[in-house]
Amino acid sequence: MTQWFVLYCREWLELVRSYKLIWVPIVFILLGASQPITTYFLPEILASAGNLPEGTTFEFPVPTAVEVLAQTLGQFGTLGVLVVALSSMGAISGERVSGTASMILVKPVSYGAFVTSKWAAMLTLSTISFAMGYGAAWYYTMALFEAVGWREVGGSLLLFALWLGFVGTLTILFSSLLRSAAAAAFSALAVSVLLSLSASMLPNAFAWSPGNLSKLAASFVMNHTAEGLWLVVLVTFCAMAAALTASAAVLRKRPSLDAA
Amino acid sequence: MMDQLTNTQLWTILGPVLALQLLLMIIALVVCIRTEETRGPRWMWVLIILFGNLIGSILFFIFGRKLAS
Repeated sequence: MTQWFVLYCREWLELVRSYKLIWVPIVFILLGASQPITTYFLPEILASAGNLPEGTTFEFPVPTAVEVLAQTLGQFGTLGVLVVALSSMGAISGERVSGTASMILVKPVSYGAFVTSKWAAMLTLSTISFAMGYGAAWYYTMALFEAVGWREVGGSLLLFALWLGFVGTLTILFSSLLRSAAAAAFSALAVSVLLSLSASMLPNAFAWSPGNLSKLAASFVMNHTAEGLWLVVLVTFCAMAAALTASAAVLRKRPSLDAA
Repeated sequence: MMDQLTNTQLWTILGPVLALQLLLMIIALVVCIRTEETRGPRWMWVLIILFGNLIGSILFFIFGRKLAS
């Protein structure tokens, strides 16, 4: 356990050195804050965009506060997922190419501990960043629209953080399978897009799929509850555990890329 | 809506966001100038950060630096 903790601290040092601990939270906060603000100023933005006949008046249905939060989640679903995948893409492949991985793994360190320490650091970073970004969105929604209860916000936060963590886990898995970091990020993004697409096209056949998580988070903030939530959460946890096991197994087979 | 908003109110809404964006840009610039080696010419990254807004800084942090190995 102490050994695992040392590895985890090393990952934190890496997050600081690569400035991820600074830029990822800032990007999430900016993403979260911009959605309520743009929605609030949308009539003015359209009006000042010009080339409209004189005297045109807009009658926009003012979105409710929970709708704004759901839209923010949609924003995180595209750009946030992209940032998570891109920021953790080199987690294992980078260290394998540079030889750090083989240097650590000749020491009596288990492959599982090596992978899970990276995974835990990724999970901490993405969850903290997303919570800060969603908190900023919540703050601006409260200030510009109306109050939203903490239960809806908390529940949807946990669900969506799980989705981000799942995408990050996929990135780590592909990062141990593939040599190139960019290919790992691309594969993880492709799989996550396929999962969400299949879940929204065939909602009955894929009711269990982790691809439902972002949709569930949005429906949780709108309706206080989401159907079939626990099954999806359970499947996601199992899939994450399986991905980590597979990733450790791949690493055991090919600790360095020189042989491959 | 804009008519009822005074300038001060507008700035209390937008101020923190703009400040944060500026902060990110400054951090990216400092890192870009101080890092040993960038991927591609350094002046190109400075331009990308300055004119690319949020995206420019993100791109620099992800792709801009050569990993010290």
